[in-house]
Order: sequence, then C-alpha cells, then structure tokens
Amino acid sequence: MLSLGSGGGKSAKPSFVSYVTPEEINSEKDTPKEEKHPDLLPGEVVFCSASTVLKLTQDELSQRGTFGTLLCTNFRVSFISDEETGEETAPLFKNKLYGENDIPLSCVDNIYGGYEDKRKLVTGSQVKNKYPSKIIIHCKDLRVFQFALTFCKEEDAKRIFQGIVHHCLEPKSLKNIFAFSFCENTAFPEMQMQQRTMMFDSAEDWAQDLKRTKGSCRLVTENANFGLSPNLPQYFIVPESVSEADMTLFQGKGLPIWCWSHHSGCALFKTSNLPLQQEDNVPQSYMEKMLTAVAHNYLYSVKTEDLSDTLPTVQDIQLSYSKFKQFFFIDSTTDFWVSDMKWFSSLDNCGWLDIIRQCLQKAMEVVECLEKENNNVLIMEDGGSDLCCVISSLAQLMLDSYYRTLQGFQSLVQKEWVAGGHNFLDRCNQLHLKDKENVSPVFLLFLECVWQLLQQYGPAFQFSETYLTVLSDSIHVPVFSTFLFNSQHHRASILRADSSHSQRGTLNCPTVWDWSVQFDCKAQQLFINPLYAEKPKLDKSMRRPHRPKHQRQLSLPSATFKTPPKKGFFKDETDSLKKILRVKRISRWMLSPDSPQPSSTSREFYEAWQRKPLDYHGLLLPCLDGPAVRIWMQRYLRWIQEVQIFGGGLVTVLSKVSDLLDEVQELQRQLDRHSSSLTSNHQRPRPRPISAETDSRLSVLLSSSFPFTTLKNNWSYKPAIPTGLLQSLMNSGNLADTEDDDQESLVRA
Amino acid sequence: MLTGSKTTFKVRQMVPDMKERMLSQSGLNARSRDMFGLRCLPGECVLQRAVLVRKKLTAREGGGWLAGTLFCTHFRVAFVPQDIPKPDDNADPVLLGDHDVALASIEKVVAVGPSRTKLVTPNSSLKFTPEELVLYCRDLRVICFLFDRLTPETQAIEITYTIAKTYQPLKPGTVLSFQNAALGSVEMKQFLSNRRKDTHMNWFESAADWEQELERCGAAGWRVSSVNDRFEMATSLPRFNVVPQKVLDTELKKTFAHFNEGRIPRWCWRHPRGSDLLRMASFQNNIYHEKDDIRNLELILFGGLSLCVVVELGEEMPSPADIQLAHSRLRALCLGDLSTSVSVPDDKWLSTLESTHWLDYTRCCLRKAAEVACLLRSGHLTVALQEAEDRDMSCVVSSLVQVMCDPHCRTQLGFQGLVQKEWVMAGHRFYNRVNYHRDNDKEEAPVFLLFLDCVWQLWSQYPSRFQLTEDFLLALHDSVHLPLFSTFLANCQRERCKRTQHLSQSYTPVNGWRDVLPRGSSPDPSDPTLPPVWDWALQYSGQRQARFTQPIPPPPSIKPLLNGNLNTNPDAHRLSDTTPVSVFLLSRGAFSCPANLLPWRSSSSGVYKKSHRRAPSSENVQALERLLKAWALTEYPHALTSNCGPQGPLDPYEPLLPLLLGPCVGVWRECYLRGALHAQAFSHPISSNHLHPVEQLAWEVQQLRDKLALASSKTDANPPAKRAEPRRTDTNLNQNTNNGTFLFPASRPQGLGVTRAAPPPTSINHQTSRGAPPSSAPQSRPSHKDNGGSNKHTFLFGHPSATEARPDQRYYPAPNNTKLPKSNGPSIGS
Repeated sequence: MLSLGSGGGKSAKPSFVSYVTPEEINSEKDTPKEEKHPDLLPGEVVFCSASTVLKLTQDELSQRGTFGTLLCTNFRVSFISDEETGEETAPLFKNKLYGENDIPLSCVDNIYGGYEDKRKLVTGSQVKNKYPSKIIIHCKDLRVFQFALTFCKEEDAKRIFQGIVHHCLEPKSLKNIFAFSFCENTAFPEMQMQQRTMMFDSAEDWAQDLKRTKGSCRLVTENANFGLSPNLPQYFIVPESVSEADMTLFQGKGLPIWCWSHHSGCALFKTSNLPLQQEDNVPQSYMEKMLTAVAHNYLYSVKTEDLSDTLPTVQDIQLSYSKFKQFFFIDSTTDFWVSDMKWFSSLDNCGWLDIIRQCLQKAMEVVECLEKENNNVLIMEDGGSDLCCVISSLAQLMLDSYYRTLQGFQSLVQKEWVAGGHNFLDRCNQLHLKDKENVSPVFLLFLECVWQLLQQYGPAFQFSETYLTVLSDSIHVPVFSTFLFNSQHHRASILRADSSHSQRGTLNCPTVWDWSVQFDCKAQQLFINPLYAEKPKLDKSMRRPHRPKHQRQLSLPSATFKTPPKKGFFKDETDSLKKILRVKRISRWMLSPDSPQPSSTSREFYEAWQRKPLDYHGLLLPCLDGPAVRIWMQRYLRWIQEVQIFGGGLVTVLSKVSDLLDEVQELQRQLDRHSSSLTSNHQRPRPRPISAETDSRLSVLLSSSFPFTTLKNNWSYKPAIPTGLLQSLMNSGNLADTEDDDQESLVRA
Repeated sequence: MLTGSKTTFKVRQMVPDMKERMLSQSGLNARSRDMFGLRCLPGECVLQRAVLVRKKLTAREGGGWLAGTLFCTHFRVAFVPQDIPKPDDNADPVLLGDHDVALASIEKVVAVGPSRTKLVTPNSSLKFTPEELVLYCRDLRVICFLFDRLTPETQAIEITYTIAKTYQPLKPGTVLSFQNAALGSVEMKQFLSNRRKDTHMNWFESAADWEQELERCGAAGWRVSSVNDRFEMATSLPRFNVVPQKVLDTELKKTFAHFNEGRIPRWCWRHPRGSDLLRMASFQNNIYHEKDDIRNLELILFGGLSLCVVVELGEEMPSPADIQLAHSRLRALCLGDLSTSVSVPDDKWLSTLESTHWLDYTRCCLRKAAEVACLLRSGHLTVALQEAEDRDMSCVVSSLVQVMCDPHCRTQLGFQGLVQKEWVMAGHRFYNRVNYHRDNDKEEAPVFLLFLDCVWQLWSQYPSRFQLTEDFLLALHDSVHLPLFSTFLANCQRERCKRTQHLSQSYTPVNGWRDVLPRGSSPDPSDPTLPPVWDWALQYSGQRQARFTQPIPPPPSIKPLLNGNLNTNPDAHRLSDTTPVSVFLLSRGAFSCPANLLPWRSSSSGVYKKSHRRAPSSENVQALERLLKAWALTEYPHALTSNCGPQGPLDPYEPLLPLLLGPCVGVWRECYLRGALHAQAFSHPISSNHLHPVEQLAWEVQQLRDKLALASSKTDANPPAKRAEPRRTDTNLNQNTNNGTFLFPASRPQGLGVTRAAPPPTSINHQTSRGAPPSSAPQSRPSHKDNGGSNKHTFLFGHPSATEARPDQRYYPAPNNTKLPKSNGPSIGS
C-alpha cells in the first residue's frame, strides 16, 4: 500500500506459480533465458542465473515485487524484470554500464540471507547446501536489494545464491577484475576530455602545473621506470636542494614531495614518515636535511604536521563510516521510522561528520600557514598517501580556484591521489580480501569534504553535487583504471605483465574521467553547476604579479616562537635545528592543556577572512560550526523514497536555472538566425521545436533526488503522511470501538 | 551636550524634557524631521549619536561592513549609512529604516572591548571603551556595530549606555511608553488614521469579507452569521462567523452554550473537492441536550455532508508550555549563552538540537496538518478540528492545512488573509502568548513562531510553489516581537475593537455600530492608534518589500466545482433528523468512533440515541478507509489525464505534503542562526566585483531582450519575419507554453520573451504592483491572469541558502533587476 511500484505484477504472478510445475518453468525458461540476458558488455560472461526470482520493493509490509531473472556475471549481479517496463521511458540519467537493477560486483557491500524473519550476514563460503529464502544485498552506493528465492527452483536458487556469494565476497586476483576482460574486448576511442584533464603521468603535466603555480622546485624524471624507488611516483617534484642520492636512501620515504606552490612562493609538501630507529642517527640527520631542503624553498621557514597524530586513523575512518552508512540502508520503511526518532543524536554519535570537520579544520590550518604566515608546510603521515592526500587536496581546493573547475578537480585527483599513490585497490577492497585492515573510505571522505565546501559556496564550483555523487559511485565500478591500482608502480607492473602475454599491447583501460563510458552527453550536462560564477576575463590581467622575495622578508615569522614540547617525529631533534629552521607545529590541540582553545587561532583567521568580501575565485574557507557540516543528502538519501520531495527541493531551483541558461542560448541562437535571415531573405526556418531534452525534463516530475530517481509512469503520488495513518488503515479491521458497536447491536437485538 | 567628560560615565536618568533638550530640537518645528542626517518620526528625539560606526551586514543585506552614523532615539537604534541620498522630507514617516532596530526588540546589549566582553545593563558601568557594540534581539537577530578608531570615545561609551538605559527590558509599562515614543505624536496619529488598509487582502473584519471568502472557496450552503456581533455569545469569537445556511440565528444562539467559551464549530475553509474544514472548542458536557439543540448541533457540525471527522488536537500536540520550553532551548542553542559565552561543542550540536524538541514540535504540527489535508482531499466530509480552547493548535493546524492545500495561501496577500482569518480573528491570544509586558510568563508561548517555522519547512521543501518568500516570513517573525501592531497586541477581536472603538465608534442599539467622527483629541493620549502589521511600508522599504514575493504563476482559480452537494450521490443530501450521519475521531493517526465522541449521542441522552441506532459502525470506518485508499491508489493517474488547461502535470490543489523524516526537517538557519556565530558561513559578504551567477544570467537575459527588441523593431515592417520574434505573437506564446521549462508545472508561459516584454514602464512600479494588484489575485479570471502573471516569471527560483545572494544597495543589479529588468516594450498582458 505504501509503495505502489508495480501493482500489476503482483496480482498476476502468484497464480502463475501455482499453475505451472517447476519442470514447466524450467523448460519454458530455457528458451527465453537467452533473451533474458541483459545487454552484456564486451567481455562480460554470465556465471549463473535463476528465473522467477521476486525482487521485493523496499516496503516490507506488502511483500510486493517484480518477478524476473537474477543473473550473476563477472561484472555484476543483474536482475531482469519479466515485465516489459516500457523502453520508451529511458531515464535521462542512465548509466551505460549498469542499469538500475544491476549491482557491479565490487559495489556489493554486504549480503544478508533472510531466513523466515531473521536476517543473517553472509560472510563467505560457509553455505554449501542451504540457501536463504531471501537475499538482501547492501550496495556501496547505498542501494538495497531484496530478492526472494522462494518461487524459483531449488537448484537454481542454490546456484545463484552461491554464485553471488562467491563472486561478491570471495577474494579474487586482480586479473579477474572485470576491467581486464572488458578492456581486452573493447576499443576505446581516445578520450576527448583527457586533453584537458591532466593525468600527471608525464613529465610535461608536472612541469606545467609547477609552472602554473610558479613554484621553484625540481622536477624529477629519473623515476620514469621506477629506477629510484617503486614507492615514488613516476614523476615528482622535490625541493631544489634534494640530491638524487637523497631520493634513493629510504626508498622515497621521508622525501618531501611538492604538492602546490602559493603565489607568495611558499609551498606545500607531503611526505611519508621514516621508520623510527632510535639508536641509529641516520634517519634523523636525513630528516634534518630534508627539512632544510624544504625550508630553503622559501624564507627558511617550514611548519611540519604529522597527520598520523592529529587526525583519526584510517581504521577510525572506516569504523565511523560503517556506523554512519547503516542509517541509510533501509530494508524496509519501518526501519527508517524507528531510526528517525534519534536521528540527530545518532548522527553525532557515529562521528562521521566530526571526522569531516576535523579534516576540513586541518586543511584550513594548512591554508592559514600558507596564506597568512607564508610558511612552507610539510605534512607527513605514516604511509604518506591517505590523509596527506585528503589534506593537501583540500588545501589546494580552498586556495586555488583552478581546482574548483571540473577539469581542475579531475587533475587534482590525478595529481594527489592517482599519481600520489593512494592505495585505491586496498582501501576500496576491490579484490574482496577477507582481511579488512586496509579498507577505508578515505577517498570518499575527501569527496565528502569537497561536498561540504560545495554546499557552502555553490557558485565557486564548476561541478555539481551530482558529479561528486557519480564520482563516488564510480569507485565501485570495476572498469576504470583510476581506482584499480595501489600506485603508479603497481599499475605499470600489472600492465606490463599483462601486455607481455597478451598480444594486444598495453591494456587500454579507460579512466573514470572518460565520462562518456558511463553517461551520454545529456546526462553529463548534469555534472555542471548552473550557478557557477565564471571567472571574469579581466581577472588575469589584474592578477598580482609575483612579488620579489626581498620584499617578503618583512613577513618573517617572529623568532620568539617557542616550539611545543613533544610528540611526533621531531622528538629527538636538537633545539638549535628547530630554531634555525623555525619549525613549527601546526596542530594546536597538541599543545599543553592550558594553551588557548584548540581552534581559536584558526577561528581568528577564519573570521578575518570572513570580513573581506567573498571572492569565488579566491580563497575559500569552510564554516565548521555545528549546523554547518551537513549530510550529503543526495548521496545518502537518494534511494529512500520516504525522503524524496516530489516537485520540491533545491533541484528544482538548479534545474530551473539551467533551463533558463538553455533558453538564453536558444534565444541567442534565434536572434542570430533572425538577424542573418533578415539580411538574406525572409524565408526562415520554423522556430526550433522544443528540444526533447527539456521536454522530458519537464514531464518528469523532479524529485529532490532528481538525477538518480526519476518518477515516471510508475510514480505514485504517495501521500507522505508519515504517521501510522495509512498503516492504521491497512490493519483496520480490529478497531477497539467495533466491540462497542457489537455490544450495542446485541443490546438492541 | 555630546561631549561628556571622560571620567564620569555614570548614566544619568534622562527625563523626557531633558532628553529633548539634549539633542533634538525637532518635535516643535515639525516639518524638518531631519536631525544629523537621521530622519526622525514626528516627536522622536535623538538621545545620542556616534559617528564613524560600521555596521556588519548579513548576507541578506549583502554582507560586509557599512559605514555610517549610529543614533539612539526614544524609540529605536538607528543607523544611517554614509552616502545615501538625502531622504525626502515629505515622504511618509517610516518607523524603522532598513538598518534600524526598535528598542523594544533588543534583548541584550553587549559591549566588546579590546580584551573583554561585557553585558551592559542600565546599572552597570563600563570600565573600557567599547570597540564593538552587539545588540542581541528578541527576534534572534544579532546586530553588530563596530566603532572606528576615530569615533570619539565618549560617543562610543555614551551611546552604549544610552541604549542600555533606554531599551529597558522587562519593565512593566515600557511597552506603552515605547508605543508612545513611536506613535504617540499627534502627527503620527493623524498619519496612521489616514492610512488606508490594503484592500487587496482579505481582512475578515466585515461580513462582506467572509462572504468573499465563501465565494472564493466556492462554498455553498454556508452563510455569514452576525449573531455574535456584540460579542455576546462568545467573547473570543469574531463578530462574524460562518455557519450552515440551514441554521437560523435564533437556533444558533442556543448552541453556544454547548461549547467551551462558546466557540461553536465554525467554517474555515472549503477544499475544492467539497470538504469543509471547521474548528471548534471542546464540548460542554454538563449541559442537557434538547432535541432541537441536537439537530442544530449536528447541522453545524456536518454542514451539508453526511460524514464528519473530528480531529482531536489536544493529546498529541505540544502544549504551549512545551513550545515555550523548546523555543527557549533553541534560543540558547543558537545564540549561545551570552553570560558565559559557552556554546555547544560542534560535534554535539545536532544532539543538542534534537534535545530541544523544537523540530519534533514542528514535525508534529506538520504531520497533523498533512493528515487533515489528506482527509479533506478525499472529499465530501467535514473535518472539525477540536481543541479544548480552540485558540492555539487549531490555529496552527487549520492554517497549515490551508497553506498546504490552497495556492492562494502561499501568496503574500493570501497568507496575510489567512493569518487574519485563522489567528487574528479566530482569537489566538497573541497578547498573552507573546507576553509583551513580561508580566505573564506562564502564558507565554511562541505558538505563532512555531507556525511560521512550519511554513518555512514547507517553503524550504517546495520553494518553487510559494509566492511569498523566506524574507516575508522573516519579516513577520521579527514583527511579532515589536509591540506596535494591533494585530498582535490583543487576544481577540473584542479586545481590538474595544481599543479602537472607544475612540471612534459608539454603539446605538438601532443602527448597530456606526462610525462617529474621530474626535480631534483622542480621549486617552497614552493610547496611540496601532497600525496592523500588514502595513509593511511602516517598517520596510520598498526594496525590501519587493523581496517578500517571488514571481510564480498565480494559482488558477478554483473551477466552478462539481463538488460537494452537486457531485455526490443523492444520499449525501439526506441530512435530517432521521438519517444517520456518521462521525469519526481521528486521533493518534487512527480512526475510531467512540460512543461518547459527540456528547449528545452518548448513552446519557437516550432519547436521541434511538433515532441514531444505525449510525456509527465499523462499516463506516471501513468505508472511510476505502475512500482514502481509493484516493491513494487512483488519484495520480487521474490527475495526469486531466492536465489540460492551465494546470501542469501537478494539480495545484494537490496538498504539498511535507516530508518529516529527520533529514528532511531542518533548522531555519536564516532566522535562528542569522546572527549567531554559528552562522558565519551563511553571512559571508559577497564580493561586489563579481556578479553572482544569477545576476549575470539576469544581465544576459536583459541583453538578449534588448537585442530582440531591437531586432523586432526592425522587423516590424516585415510581417513574415514576425514569427521569429518570440515575444509578440500568439504562436510564440504557445511555444513558450510548451517550452514551459520551469519549476512550476502549473505555470503557463514563462518564456523569456513574454516575460521581458510585459513589465510596466518602471521596475519600481512593478515591484509595488506585484504584491498588490487584484488582477493577480488568485480569484480573478485565469485567462487574463496568465498573461498578467507571466509578467513576473522571470526568475522563478527561491533563494537557497547556499547560493544566496542578496545584493545590498551597493550592488548595482538589485533584486528588482534580477526579477525584472527594465522594461521596454508594451505590455502584452494589457
């Protein structure tokens, strides 16, 4: 009753089942089974399938659903409905790789078996002969599927269940990931977008970025074949005074890698921590040398920050996120009502929003050092490729408006994450390894932080919320080379090994930035923020010239600064070194407890910034107060019908603006035509018919989770009476007062 | 007088005559009301002033800092920015300028020094020179003034003292002196008495007003009764009440006794599907029901219909005390604790918010209203809201229902009428609930603010379906805290009438009320005439009033409905003593029909019961459910097929049902957080160098329009070419219809061409005309209106907080440009 998704199917199906014996189903099925296959992608192979599977709607009460075939391929778990859902209603925002009833294998988060009224987490191959009556699949993009196996043949059910469990949960080798068979069988045209997205897989890209930011560092090309160290990117940039010998000393550990240069000349570097060996002095002296090198970059000042100490660990992040996401896995609507009572406090308790806040806070501190104090900043971390990536990319987003364009953002991800060696393969657990220690949604955390910035300063970003959501989904589509490898070295070695025994040369895997693999042009339009404030043209000429260095001597940090006692890496350094280098720690809450409130100084920085007029192309600082950090509604709530606003929400506003933009362009075009035809002759083409695009957009009633769920024919204008009003209507018969009436009638009788 | 010796900062007790001597020579030579650049009200005295002050602007005002002069007068803290054009001396007096704060809305005065912060009270002394002066207002604004280094120290100190001294919080009698300060002068009284009421909105003061509403709703079978004309039957009810036609006044008189405070069931609104919304107080149970009474009671309750659902508002809804507690907690959360400057840690903010229960209460009201809206939508029944006193939650729910269901109530004028109808006239105890005198803490409860919050929740979920904007809601929110308006300064119409009528009216038994000429000197000089809150020009400049509305297509008029009595099966007509009519109770989300629901039907009145033995039964409960179910299942497809005409795919009379899950209900940031430190991110100044993209878009559209105009003027000589000019011809109108682009499914042509062509000669005119004209009022003819309305559809978006850009006056393309750039070209609608 609450969900009226597929009313027709329900009444028909049970009778179908009751009249036909399993054999008949089987014989009947065999022929159409081939037809029931989805449009397989190149290289996609069906492992197993089962028909007459009932896909339940989310609503637990009604047990309604759609019958169809459930398949498991080497790419996805797919459900094909028996009902002919009108093809003519192709959704505007259709993913070319997988449909709304498909789950890419690596997108599966958890599988639960539903036994009668219990639900059990399926962990692996322990199920040999038993199979549950219901498979519940939680996806990493927050979708929830429920498939009832009660109507299908026993061995089919067994097979499909084991197949799905096997392929989704069992460890596999990288070679078995779908991308490899997919790419072997597909020839991708060179992607067009690539020309503008810098991939940072060549020396030119790095040189260009260095030039763009006017940094004065050294580009290292010697590692092109990973001769120096496999831990280092192919190309990277170090302070001028770092020698080649230094680079090889600790396999790249402790080596400061340039990230970005501020226009004042100071720069942001990141590094991974050296292993601490107390008795040996080598690492310390090496580190001193590196610090000196960084300091030499500009003004002899450097601040270091050990992120391992001050930010939550990778495991904390994973733990918090796994708590957080549970709020959004809605098996049934009733679950949601229950969780709703304590919505805000449970949000606070899982701590996810606070982790976001901490990351943004840390990035703000880095920004403050660069922007206000003009210090070099060296951020470090044990691995150097998790929170370092988050913080450095966030700092760059805040400081540099180039990275807030679509191409710039993609370049940033390439630079800091892909080339920077974030362990995507391990962190995303693309191989379904049982050992979950390394799994952590660090990249998602970064996207979350970006989203916070985006929602606070919409016009500053060229890309839209939808773009970020799609990007976060794409992590779990095992097709893109972007998220498949742990580092550039890893990628190179895999691809080399691969190309050696296939005759096709190096594998041509698309990157995720090749959006045409997933979406057509119209859908890609939704990635663009219609409210983006384009950079005014004259800005470039007005850009402040790079000030010469001697002027900046005035802004030397005060020598009276006292280094905080302790912690982290520089424990054993001599004071003299610190004085020379004026090394400061950024992190304030590590100071002694009597020091001022942790964030008060950065608060000042923020407030000072706030008083200046906002420039969407200048520095952006996020507000981090309690109410300001919010839930990424689109990503987390888009599949939950109960929270979709029909014909409402911000989407309507944005889509309106973009329509308006379209119309402006259209009018412009008409005007051009008009004036041209004026001069030529009076025979003009009819005014262009309304584009199908706008038309379809109109006909679909936009809901607040617009591009992801559209409401077409089957939308039910469900009254969102959130109480039990409707529920009480459903189990109506037993109203207490009917007794009264009965008694009354008895009396009367 | 301005210079005071630096050492003696003791605040002097300022007696009025002394004050007058201090700074103002005004009052007497009344024509020049301009003092030191401040345009005073007649009789207003400037007590203190400080130069070179900067005011922090909120995002709504454009952000950043504004330099100017700060004044403190009898009545307000005024801030006059530099370089504003000299005000016209002959213009109407404005109570509050855009940057002013009335003293009465100030709650706390805080001086921020170099190293410390101090709460300034009338008795405290400052030991430092304030650099910043922060005024915390009762309406949750926080206004911050920054003294320049060049501001004379004495001025900074004196003005701080003066404000602290004059605003006088919590003292009895201050309200009246405040009113006198603002409105007490003879000139002001004269000005106010000459002020015309806005005739475009429905004030619900006369019988004709009610009849107009009946007509607008297409409610047949009801009439306006003036039986309570002298407030004899029920003191808290308005003079005119709508009751079923079949009940005569003489019969009606007997029914009052059966209800608490005599608040009999009264008609409020009719849903286009023929359901009527009623509200009433609880039954008086200790009264014997005569048979005639019973007939009339039933008639009143059932209207002409055979099904009645009583919605009990007592149990599930928050009590006024709950609301008051929640609101004070919310205040504390949003503004922080001023005395200790301790605020909630960020990572506990949401939990604390939850524990205020404020959102729970908004949710609760919205939920109840959504239920009622759905009930009404099923047609052919009366829904009677019942509350013990019928003066708090009934107001909230009945008006929310109408906001949800009736597009007219989502326009500014419609909403104002709604508040008049369901709050002011219906006798919400504004005076006690707002507690202006601070002498009635037990009764204080911001029920009306809760209602505004609910409306805001709806607005934020469906921004494109409202003509009124957040700015309007904010303005109303802030005005509640200002004890100046007759709207809020009384508990019921009777009190309001008393106040005005002893001045200007007398009652003669023969002719009823009649106006007598206002006597030259009003009998009570301490009692100035109070304007209604809807006279926005007293408080807000035209520019800011223009932001009260956004252009949306006007709601189509309700079609002559085949509803109610016409449409139903003939059974619906049988309403007499002998036919059973069923009544149900909706409570806690479930229907039931308890035997004692209607006291006269319960067992005590045995006589009556006989005739009704077949009446209520579970069958009928099920029938009701079936009705609702059928509606839920079939409604939409039906609406789809019927989307011809001006309605888009979405029937404009579909209720806007709010989503009430945790993630969907939010804090009204622009209201509660606008001044607080928390809101920093939302008050970021927008650079004046860069156009907001929306402004750019507007600019672009303007360019195109100009070009098109140019091109079309060329082609006017060329008949065949005319087609390409998308603004004149009918074909293009249609094209625009199809093109219909936008958010507003129900909208008709919003094509830019049309839009651009239509506006009247000056944008200012347009601004003012937008709110007002009866031609755009929803009840006028749709055919014309679409054209007329389309004038306004240039930009149909609301202003979401994230992308908010509120230009201030430094900001050239002011919102009037956004909404409506200069026009050139004839109006198509006229």
